[in-house]
Amino acid sequence: MASAIAAATAPPTGAQHSVLLLRRANDYLAATLRARYRVLSFYDSGAPLPAFLAASAATEPEPPRAALVVGGGAIRVDAAFLDAAPYLRCVVTTAAGLDHVDLAECARRGVLVAGAGEVFSTDVADHAVGLLIDVLRNVSAADRYVRRGLWPVQGDYPLGSKLGGKRVGIIGLGSIGSSIAKRLKALGCVIQYHSRRPKDTVSFKYFHDVISLATESDALIVACALNDQTRHIVNKEVLGALGKDGVVVNIARGGNIDEAELISALREGKIAGAGLDVFEKEPVVPAEFFSMDNVVLTGHEAVFTTESGSDLCDLMIGNLEAFFDGRPLLTPVLPK
Amino acid sequence: MESLGVLLLHPMNAYLEQELDRRFRLIRLWDSPPDARADFLRSNAAAIRAVVGNAGYNADSALIDALPALEIVASFSVGIDRVDLAKCRERGIRVTNTPDVLTDDVADLAVGLAIAALRKIPQADRYVRAGLWKAKGDYTLTTRFSGKRVAILGLGRIGLAVAKRAEAFDCSISYHSRSQKPFPNYRFFTNVVDLAANCDVLIVACSLNAETHHIVSREVIHALGPEGVLINIGRGAHVDEPELVSALFEKRLGAAGLDVFEHEPFPPEQLIGLDNVVLVPHVGSDTEETCKAMADLVLQNLEAHALNKPLLTPFSGKRVGIIGLGRIGLAIATRVEAFDCPVNYYQRTKKEYPNYTYYPSVVELAANSDVLVVACPLNEQTRHIVNREVIDALGPKGVLINIGRGPHVDEPELVSALVEGRLGGAGLDVFEDEPNVPEALFTLDNVVLVPHVGSGTHETRQAMADLVLGNLEAHVLKKPLLTPVV
Repeated sequence: MASAIAAATAPPTGAQHSVLLLRRANDYLAATLRARYRVLSFYDSGAPLPAFLAASAATEPEPPRAALVVGGGAIRVDAAFLDAAPYLRCVVTTAAGLDHVDLAECARRGVLVAGAGEVFSTDVADHAVGLLIDVLRNVSAADRYVRRGLWPVQGDYPLGSKLGGKRVGIIGLGSIGSSIAKRLKALGCVIQYHSRRPKDTVSFKYFHDVISLATESDALIVACALNDQTRHIVNKEVLGALGKDGVVVNIARGGNIDEAELISALREGKIAGAGLDVFEKEPVVPAEFFSMDNVVLTGHEAVFTTESGSDLCDLMIGNLEAFFDGRPLLTPVLPK
Repeated sequence: MESLGVLLLHPMNAYLEQELDRRFRLIRLWDSPPDARADFLRSNAAAIRAVVGNAGYNADSALIDALPALEIVASFSVGIDRVDLAKCRERGIRVTNTPDVLTDDVADLAVGLAIAALRKIPQADRYVRAGLWKAKGDYTLTTRFSGKRVAILGLGRIGLAVAKRAEAFDCSISYHSRSQKPFPNYRFFTNVVDLAANCDVLIVACSLNAETHHIVSREVIHALGPEGVLINIGRGAHVDEPELVSALFEKRLGAAGLDVFEHEPFPPEQLIGLDNVVLVPHVGSDTEETCKAMADLVLQNLEAHALNKPLLTPFSGKRVGIIGLGRIGLAIATRVEAFDCPVNYYQRTKKEYPNYTYYPSVVELAANSDVLVVACPLNEQTRHIVNREVIDALGPKGVLINIGRGPHVDEPELVSALVEGRLGGAGLDVFEDEPNVPEALFTLDNVVLVPHVGSGTHETRQAMADLVLGNLEAHVLKKPLLTPVV
């Protein structure tokens, strides 16, 4: 499973470029970085972030002009961060989402930002489909039922709900949303969506707002970015519009759904079920979910396959190489 | 109408049971305690003309013997491996099943189980519910489903539906089947071990019979290997279960997603503690929508039987594929229906025939029929419509009937296929160069040859002659023609 890029180019002789690593894992990505760059690792330094950034300014022969960051709330690339690291000209994020990067601040300072592109789209889409099938067809719940020895005792498991013909409303039709749409279409679902603007390249029905989408959908899949406009985009009203036979799947960010409202909607039977990979205060998952058989819970792992680990590595190295070579980034978020 | 006495073998669906009770004379087998069953059957035998079974409980040899008045077995399932078909044939008992209505649900579950098994979704769900995400950190890395090499055992309705779904995940498709199917994008393997050795995910989707019992053997499991995944949405008996269990336990097989088991409702104890398997209790077709559709099929088949109308989904007869469902094609369809033959067809435009299955190409029609009948007009598009590809799809057990025109069939191809045994047999009324018939056919004993006698009865020839004369007279008298074509 060797990275294609790591194999093709050896680390440069002489001085290596320096790179800030603001990512906890000491894994394949970190090892590949170390092979080609001088890596200044925040989590290994043990220092508080401002001290670490200040100290990095003194790196010889040049301070780190690029930083690799991951999302998850730990580190925010905001004005304070950028003030503390004025030498930084490029931020490469390894996360699928960008809510931990203040894009306006980066744009203001001319700092380049490289995103994860479509590296995660496949696995996230697969996971979303897996969650939807699980919720509608009770896969995890039925697995529990079998393991508890209930099949001989209580007989057949209660019926699930057919995927074919279900109207699936996708919130956010970017790379992930589109990959989900392609898969669900093959499973006979009717695809419709809401996004900031309609996409003229697709024939799916567009809804201007999420409430109308929810009203006419049997399932909602949240696949949009988290920002000020999309915080709690699935709220009490939307859940009410989705209705008692509707289900929600969230593979975006916990903050996209009003979690407390979701819990009460499930409790009161106002919606039929949910498949959730993300939560508002990870890794804390509200205990109210644990007693619900119509909910499937996974721990923010929609991207965690060995394949996307490898694809990500190739992409990050590719972006760093492009930056240091003065070429356009492979997956630029800024400049747009 | 004297009410049809129906024996329901086991509780299986509330709506079905309620409707059987309402529309027929329902007898529930479980109303009798198990040790008094023989007496129960004896005292009800005279009344029982129909049996409704399912995947787990069906009309086996002993039951059929106990029911001398039995006329029809209507199964609430598509798989009828537990019906003694030979005995039914012997006794003239009709059999119906519930194909098509459950295809999508079963295929969806196959995909759902594959993703669940590879991405360990139920395991991750357990991990989160146990509070381990908070206590121990992220769950384990898994492997991507998209792009995996998917192999399917059996490319019938369900197998094909699985293939189409997997294609949307950019999976490559390979399969094993009794005969090769007309899907050039899918790689065909004659040998199941080779199939398993060349895939990442093996999905069992064939019917259970003597040949497919334990088709997933120790050897196949070994070929699938420690990274391989087995998904079973067929029957438990397709897999050597003890071998499967030890392979999973010892991690000689990577993972499995199982909907069926050899001794339902008892999955092997050793599987319960394993983390590399997903277990569901035979829920393949278990949705509200599909169970209602299946129940309706059972009810409609029973009603049709009671009213002496054609069955909707007969299993007993040979599958007849008709090319062209015009006047003649339709007349053939209504005749073979009376023999409980399922009717498939191809024609340029699909029409609404609820009992007949449409195929979008002649090759697919041939692949899904036992008897292929040519009944379309001859024109530029239909010349050689039965070509080598179609003949191969019909296969060594298939039969071709041509009552159209000789040029509908590529005759040299037909002759060599018959001579070489690549086609099972033929009944031919027409030939490319009448009255010359290829001599190679004369020595074959798997063909019936007649000299263009389709309309050759006194009555019909008289009627045809009257039509010709009537048309000529109309023309001369400047009246509307009787049967204008142009």
